[in-house]
Amino acid sequence: MKRLLPCTALALLALLAALLAGTAIGETTVSPRVVYQVLANHLWQADYPVDPIDAGIIWNYRLTRTLVAAACGAGLATCGVILQALLRNPLAEPYLLGLSAGASTGAVLVGLLGLGSVALSMSGGAFVGAVAAFALVLVLARAAGPSSNNAQVILAGIAGSQLFTALTAFLITKSATAEQARGILFWLLGNLSGVRWPSVWLALPVALCGLVVCLWHRRTLDAFTFGADSAASLGIPVRRSQLLLISCAALVTAVMVSIVGAIGFVGLVIPHALRLLLGPGHSRLLPASALGGALFLIAADMLSRTLIPGQVIPVGVVTALIGAPVFALILVSRRRRA
Amino acid sequence: MLPRFATLLAGLSLTGVAHAAATHYPLTVDNCGMPQTFAHAPERAVTIGQAGTEMLYALGLGEKLAGTSLWFNNVLPEYKALNDQVPRLADNDPSFEAVVGKRPQLVAVQFEWMVGAQGVVATREQFNELKIPTYLLPSDCEGKDNLVGADGTRLQAFQVDSIYKSVSQLAEIFDVQARGEALNTDLKARLDGAKQQLAGKDLSKTSALFWFSSADLDIDPYVAGRQGVADFMLRTLGVRNVVESTEEWPTVGWETLAKANPTWLIIARMDRRRFPADDYQKKLEFLHNDPVTQHMDAVKNNRIIILDADAMQAGIRLFRGLQTLSAAFASGKAAQ
Repeated sequence: MKRLLPCTALALLALLAALLAGTAIGETTVSPRVVYQVLANHLWQADYPVDPIDAGIIWNYRLTRTLVAAACGAGLATCGVILQALLRNPLAEPYLLGLSAGASTGAVLVGLLGLGSVALSMSGGAFVGAVAAFALVLVLARAAGPSSNNAQVILAGIAGSQLFTALTAFLITKSATAEQARGILFWLLGNLSGVRWPSVWLALPVALCGLVVCLWHRRTLDAFTFGADSAASLGIPVRRSQLLLISCAALVTAVMVSIVGAIGFVGLVIPHALRLLLGPGHSRLLPASALGGALFLIAADMLSRTLIPGQVIPVGVVTALIGAPVFALILVSRRRRA
Repeated sequence: MLPRFATLLAGLSLTGVAHAAATHYPLTVDNCGMPQTFAHAPERAVTIGQAGTEMLYALGLGEKLAGTSLWFNNVLPEYKALNDQVPRLADNDPSFEAVVGKRPQLVAVQFEWMVGAQGVVATREQFNELKIPTYLLPSDCEGKDNLVGADGTRLQAFQVDSIYKSVSQLAEIFDVQARGEALNTDLKARLDGAKQQLAGKDLSKTSALFWFSSADLDIDPYVAGRQGVADFMLRTLGVRNVVESTEEWPTVGWETLAKANPTWLIIARMDRRRFPADDYQKKLEFLHNDPVTQHMDAVKNNRIIILDADAMQAGIRLFRGLQTLSAAFASGKAAQ
């Protein structure tokens, strides 16, 4: 406990540094002086004269993008922790419950039915699709047997994912042109370019709420690590906690998917990496995973913007390209130490 | 067969422009690396792609069309009555059997990804096995590798000669060479007229950006890169494209585009409504309201040109597009 304060301070400092770096580095070069001036103008009305295009890029494009990357990374990593603990399966991750497949179906439907000109944007469609897929998976899992059986949930998730993936493929072959398919693919692979302040005000509270709910249930999560039966023997209302936590993870993931598309790897690997480093206790694992996810996604987004000048690589590609070798390194070095 | 052919010839001589040589059949045309042989002028043709469809209408061959497909916009108004008579096989890509079912003696194709080595509809061999010749518009195969990249990759810049070539080759296949010559003369006159309009104007510091659409409004937009038709239009008129990517339609971030700060913005108008940004009104709204783009010079001075999306494709519409652009560049005001 006495290490709590310095650890928190260090974590916040790292987060702040990452946010600053994400704001200062981008597709084009803006000098650090200008970055400082723009931030000062907005944060404490410093009133430096700056080019309005530079000012807009820093404050409205890069800062929002970095903040949303942080929120998404934290949210997805937290969801990964919950699902891995509840389902006691190392392959559990936020998209296991059919959410990304459902989101893609929703987005494609909006794109292809021409609903785009009405009210629902592709992100709106993705959210509706993700929630619909999750509902279907829940019903399926419930119909398949008692909720204490993790395999039922996982299998239901796989069935739901396959169904919605097939639906998406069907819709694309039926009515999309190559150009549209590319647009949808680009969006699905994860894309932070459409992010502005409204997305920040959605993503940040959702990620924080998710984290708080999970921290509140950290003892429950610890108990579930030993199985639903042990949790029950400790007096935990198994069914209710399970439903609450899974729904919480699903909602957080659905919101994130609808804002930035399906960014893979973060929710699967960040929890594992930190569990290897810090052990399975959720009071430490949860905040550490949230921080790790935030830092990781900010870094991945920065790379996605700068690897090829004048062009942005889908951030999902970068998370996997960078994340996989790093994770492999952690796995191997951990085994050597043991 | 023969009487019809005779009427066609008679019709041509009546118009008084039949001084061009008549086609000798069997005719073999080398098309996109695959020779196609025609025993006689096709009586029934199917088109895949709006550019080919409108080219055949412009050649006065509408009554030979047994089916059309792959539409992007409404047909040009002057062909609407004619087009209403022709069955539309599909709005997008037609199935192989729908095409074959029309028993066409020619399938005219706009894009190799429709009919080609990895064709969505079929390969050219599949058509040839059924003795159906295919004609790919050369604009999509010459200097272009369609097996690389989602939209194919242009190895060299688009050449306007490829359009003149498709007009004269189609005219030869249908034995209406005089009409082909007349159409090409008209297209070349439009191109020269557009250039003339800007003669003597210093455009060395003028730049432009083509915005086609975006998958979502705030997201990185599809813009015209180098090598494609849109870039050809700018080059012809002596205006610099601010996008330097060699991809035909890359996605580029608004940060890069706003910093490039082009003199003119050219936004596409289309009937398609798949993405919100397909609507040019939504594009205008975005440009004027986004915290960054509203400060771009072109937006502040309202130098925004609205151009039909088809004018950015390799087809006869591109020449009208050139006229629209040159009129706008010449007047210094936005054109609708």
